[in-house]
Amino acid sequence: MTGQVIGQVMPPWTRGQWALRLVVLAGPVLATVAAGLTGDPPGRLGLGVVVAASLGFALFPESPAGTVAFATVLLTWGLGSSPSTPPGVVLAAGALVAAHVAALLASYGPADLPLDRRLTLTWLVRGAALFLVAPVVWLLARALEGQPEPAGLWVTAVAALAVAAVVATTALGPRSRA
Amino acid sequence: MTRPQQWRPTAATSRAAVIATTGTVAAVLAGRPTLLVLVAPLLVAAALALAGRPRRTPSVGTDFDHHALHEGQGTTSRLVLADAEDVEQVTRVASPEPFLAVRPAGGRVTGLLAAGPVDLEFSPQRWGRRVVGEEAVALTSPWAGFRWGPTTIIGDQVRVLPIGLHYASHAESPQPRGLVGAHRSSRPGSGTEFAGIRAFVPGDRLRRINWRVSARTDQLHVTTTRAEEDAGVLLVVDAIADHGRSGGVDGAESSLDLTVRAAAAVAEHATRQGDRVSLRVLGRSLSQVGYGSGQRHLRRVLGTLASIQPGSAHDGELERLQLRATEGTMVVVLSPMLTEVVATLTATAVRRGLPTLVVDTMPEDAEAGLDPAADPLLADLAWRMRRLEREQVLASLATLGCPVVPWRGPGTIDEVTHRLARRARQPHLGMR
Repeated sequence: MTGQVIGQVMPPWTRGQWALRLVVLAGPVLATVAAGLTGDPPGRLGLGVVVAASLGFALFPESPAGTVAFATVLLTWGLGSSPSTPPGVVLAAGALVAAHVAALLASYGPADLPLDRRLTLTWLVRGAALFLVAPVVWLLARALEGQPEPAGLWVTAVAALAVAAVVATTALGPRSRA
Repeated sequence: MTRPQQWRPTAATSRAAVIATTGTVAAVLAGRPTLLVLVAPLLVAAALALAGRPRRTPSVGTDFDHHALHEGQGTTSRLVLADAEDVEQVTRVASPEPFLAVRPAGGRVTGLLAAGPVDLEFSPQRWGRRVVGEEAVALTSPWAGFRWGPTTIIGDQVRVLPIGLHYASHAESPQPRGLVGAHRSSRPGSGTEFAGIRAFVPGDRLRRINWRVSARTDQLHVTTTRAEEDAGVLLVVDAIADHGRSGGVDGAESSLDLTVRAAAAVAEHATRQGDRVSLRVLGRSLSQVGYGSGQRHLRRVLGTLASIQPGSAHDGELERLQLRATEGTMVVVLSPMLTEVVATLTATAVRRGLPTLVVDTMPEDAEAGLDPAADPLLADLAWRMRRLEREQVLASLATLGCPVVPWRGPGTIDEVTHRLARRARQPHLGMR
């Protein structure tokens, strides 16, 4: 009887979908909590907004709730008082990438769509490759930290990132099949 | 093929682009590299997704491995894509249809196009007209940047033929009246079945002379044999109503399931024996298939059986119906015998001297089909009264000499056909 009631209340997700939704829910929350590792804990309001938006994001991976959750994470980190670039931010970036990829996989079809093994593996590899960008940028930021800021450094950095993106696109982008 | 669709950015692309742009701008304006670290992976993801913007509009269709199916058989629906160079991933979601099993379970499948075909398998579980292959298809470009669809693909109307159960039978036809066939005739002829030995008369073939008897009797004698003829089988299918619950080919059988499958089995068996088979459907359409033999004719019979829809004909057409069975035709009435007009038709055939048998297709656990507005007690009472009337009808038919057998699968009518054949060889008077 209890099982029937639970079955009616719970969404009809497959096991894979449950795992994806949990990652979608946990990612932004973890990215927010990671700010606390720097000794700069997030405010309750910020955390509450992230939890609520993440819940909506997990239930509806294609909704704007994901953008709200991610933007709130950025706000939490942006409002932090730490002037340096703490290692915790790499963990936060990883959590955001995981949530983004999980939501993307979950939104490939209806909620009861079973996951395809090859597709999931492809996105795990892609997610790991995307995540590697974060430590690289973090190392660059740490290397430049404390040094006098040359004029136009930020513009150059963003331009370099854009060029890197274009190069990566050329290397990893779509190729016409035979 | 489907109506034109457009490629649209996915929610993931929009999210990555918005967050990456906001974070980068905020990082530059506030001088916070922390924000740049956070959004850098999403910036790359958005760039890759946007760089793979599709330039061609694909078209989608499906193709089936088989277009004629028996119930329980399966076919693969293959996706046919044109101009799909920009497509990386495919999602297919089949619409649920009654009595249509789909694999993978649930009819949902996704996969990379480069990894191989993304196929769906359909298997109709009950005879009749079924819509197979109605589904929604969505395509995405590399890095899930853009989505095309979902678009609906209209399914095919497939006529699902009743399952053909093969069985071996050595039962003779009661009154074969054809030209060439496998049944032993009551008339002498050039068959192989021994009939007797008689004195030679001019015109007898020399190779028929029985030399041993001729030598013993000092008079020429010949061995006579029975002719071998084909027979006519008229299948009368009662499709006036469907009683009981149908669970598909491996589940419970309704009265119409039993009727149609039994008719298909008898038709297939008779065709294999070289007999001429005719079909008469008593139902909404009163469709008919004339006498014929061979595989093509069998397909016509099965196709007509697959088109049956329960219902009653209008304006007393059923009451005016005549079977038009010629002498020697074996009439097989497949019916749950709940309708007076079917009982009358059967009794008429018996009185005409046609070898007639009734295959009772009433499921044992059939219950009253309840009208939601009806009082359940009254409906139950009415159903019991109908069943009592049915027992009386069956008893009356048995009194007339018409055997009634419940359908128990292939071979059900063997014993009865044997008895009818034995009875046919005895002298009798027929009423006209």
